[in-house]
Amino acid sequence: MRNKSVVTEAREIRVASDLIGLDARLQVLESETQLSRERLLRLYKELRGKSPPKGMLPFSTDWFMTWQPNTHASLFMAIYDHIDKACALDEVEVLIKAYRLYLEQIGQLGLQAVLSFTRAWRLVKFFDCGMLTTAPCTHCRAPFVVHTHELVDRFVCGLCHMPSRAGKTKPHPAGALMN
Amino acid sequence: MNTERMLEEIREANLTYLMLAQRLIREDRAQALYRLGLSEEVADVIGALSAGQILKIAASNLLMCAMRFNDDLVWNLLTGHSRQEKGNAGAAGMHAAILMAGRVAQPA
Repeated sequence: MRNKSVVTEAREIRVASDLIGLDARLQVLESETQLSRERLLRLYKELRGKSPPKGMLPFSTDWFMTWQPNTHASLFMAIYDHIDKACALDEVEVLIKAYRLYLEQIGQLGLQAVLSFTRAWRLVKFFDCGMLTTAPCTHCRAPFVVHTHELVDRFVCGLCHMPSRAGKTKPHPAGALMN
Repeated sequence: MNTERMLEEIREANLTYLMLAQRLIREDRAQALYRLGLSEEVADVIGALSAGQILKIAASNLLMCAMRFNDDLVWNLLTGHSRQEKGNAGAAGMHAAILMAGRVAQPA
């Protein structure tokens, strides 16, 4: 069904522009707005001056369990939950605001962003469909991303109990985010 | 520090805090709730204050803002007294950030 309201369309174009500005993939735009693929492609080219990257989206929940991505995903979800609980907004708007705050926080810490916007979006979808959830660490009580049916009675987070090689990976040579 | 000077400094801190909070709330309410750690109700009140009201509230002998975290762990991580700090500076900051972000404002 095409939506005919110009106001709704204007709002959706604003959301789509925000998403493109945050490097979201086309599939994210298609899922979060009612705009047609052609319009989204045109918008993308207009804003970025090039065609969007093609190919499949990352789909694994396991990526979020490895040490470094898990810390970043947990930070992002903590921010997301905070905003989500604090006020009533559309999911996509919470996502955009939370992702901006995540980037800001990472920048303040002098770290590289590990979670791309598309990954963050995926993460929220995994939470929505119940594949992932957060569990409080039994030491520090901070919420961390875990698989839904994992046993968490004695869960200790990756930051209270750091693996010996943690955080010692070399930065990616291209410095690019793995979308 | 004599009393008059102390009251003056409290007034100034209150004024700065309330004005900043109000600006943040008016600019982007959702982000402000996160940054300030306030509940929606308090944010609405502060967002709606007039300049005169802010001046009046600021002139108090109490600070209007309180410490957000009463947790040893957060403070240890922030001050770098934790075991983690050695060799992995980023991780302590990250840990503190997750702990702080995970703390939702107490309803007023």
